[in-house]
Order: sequence, then structure tokens, then C-alpha cells
Amino acid sequence: MTDFDLERLLGSQNPDPGCDEAGELMDAYCELVARGEPVSDRYAEFLTHMSNCAACREDMEGLLAMLRDQEKSSRR
Amino acid sequence: MSRSSAGWRRTACGRRGGVHRLPTLCTDLARADDAAQMNTLALDQESAEWLDALRRNDSVRDDAIARLHALLLRVSRAEVSRRRALVQSRATDDVDDLCVQAANDALMAILAKLSTYRGDARFTTWACKFAIYETSSRLRRAAWRERRVELDDAVWDRLPDAAPAALQRLESDQVMAALRRAVDEHLTERQRLIFQSVAMDDVPIDVLAERLNTSRGAIYKTLHDARAKLRRALIEAGHGEHLS
Repeated sequence: MTDFDLERLLGSQNPDPGCDEAGELMDAYCELVARGEPVSDRYAEFLTHMSNCAACREDMEGLLAMLRDQEKSSRR
Repeated sequence: MSRSSAGWRRTACGRRGGVHRLPTLCTDLARADDAAQMNTLALDQESAEWLDALRRNDSVRDDAIARLHALLLRVSRAEVSRRRALVQSRATDDVDDLCVQAANDALMAILAKLSTYRGDARFTTWACKFAIYETSSRLRRAAWRERRVELDDAVWDRLPDAAPAALQRLESDQVMAALRRAVDEHLTERQRLIFQSVAMDDVPIDVLAERLNTSRGAIYKTLHDARAKLRRALIEAGHGEHLS
């Protein structure tokens, strides 16, 4: 087992707000990323949760994919 | 909305606490509604129009609900298409039914939580978050429908081992043994089940929430506490340098 595996198993020890609080920030975060704008420190704990929780990460990827599709459609 | 949903995902009627919570809940909602009314001033035009239409009590609202449902259904179908690998074996009718159910539940959640929309993102992004969540949660549960979730020590043998050199191998064996000892000695049976299932065996957190009849947030809290205990135990056992 490598240190990488250990980190995956134990997650990051940085503050993690959990699924509910992270979910509250997900839409605003995804809009920032989709627009290519800088992400502020406000999202540090949100990002820790995304690296610790596979389900929330999948949800975030789905929302980001949706916003990018919308962006592509609006350019056509 | 399923009972495994929690927090922003949970509808007002799905909140726990029964009739005793009602007075507080009404106050919460009234306050949130006031805040939302104020936020409307700062919203982009499209979001303000959505909010205005959905708050009315006439055919404009009915029309907005129909448009919103159509949007949620499109988003749900796009998400299923994006994650085709998870739905390969399911019949087309099943998949479309899954999308319709996800859109229906997302719509219910959105209408119940409308007063909590703060305008941090566009209204449609906020609303589509519910559709993505309902869809991906259903996909994960469907993918695991036929699979058992139980405490299984064989999970330790399935852990990936990428340490190539003999010395690294020896070290990693020692860390693995310490971790296994910590799991056995420091975790409760529930923490062990959740840690081994989610962190080691990649069981989706909402699948486990459904099987254990609890919320995703509660499962995550237990996982978080278990990980913290294990981290402390590894540090005490002299393996702190392996932890980030």
C-alpha cells in the first residue's frame, strides 16, 4: 500500500464540511469553474470534501458537464 | 424524494422532527422567504423571472413548472447519457423511467426549497443540481441493486498495491498491518462496515445510506469520524509520516 492509497482510504485531514454543506456551495462553485474565473478561499473546505467523497465528486462533475454543454449550445 | 436525501437535498416536508418541529419550521421558512424576496433584487433577470413565475398562484406558475420539469428531464437524460457505463445493462424503458422519476423528485424538492434559493448561482444551475443529484444517486443505487453490502475481510486482499521495490513493499506491509489493527481495535462495528464498504470497497455512499436506512450525510459523518480515529491510531503507532 502506497502513501497515495493511504490518503485515498483515510481522506484529507483538512476541515471537511460534509455532504450537506458542500452541496450548498456546489452550484456557485461549478458556475465559477465553467466561466473560468478564479476560485476563492471560500471554497477550500468544499474542495476538501470533493476530494474525500466520491459521490459528491460525481455529482459535481455532472453539474459541471451540464454547464459546459449549455455553454457549447449557446455558442452555436 | 427518497429518505436517503439530506440537507439541501431534503424537501421541507421530509424534514425530521414531526409535528413538534412545525412552528419552528414555519418561522424558518418565513425568514428564508423574506431573505429570498430581498435577494430577488440582486438576481440576474432570467433567475428573477423564474422565481417570480414560480411564486405566483395562476397559470403563469403552471407554465413555469411545466418548463422547469422539461428542463430537469433533459438534464437527467443528458447525465444518464454521460454516464452510459453505469446503465449499459438496463433496458431503455427502465432508464427513461429513472429519468422521469429523477425529474419528478427534483421538481418536488425545488418547489419545497424555493424560499431557500439565495441567488449565489443562476436559478437554473441551482435547480439542475437537484436533477443531477437525483439522477446520479438513482444510477448508483441501480448499479448496486444486485450486490450485497456486508463486512468482508477479503476486502483487505483487494486493496491495490503499487509499491514496486522490496523495501517499499516491506514498509507498506507494515502500514497495512497497522491500519488493519487500528480498524479492528478502534472502530465500532458500524464504523468498520462503513469504512470498509465506502473507503475500501468503493460502495457508493448513497447505496449504503439506503441499505442502512439512514441519510447520506449521516453515513459520511460516520466515515469521517472513523477516518479520524484511524489517522490518530496510525500516528500513535509511529506511521504518521505516511499521512498527508
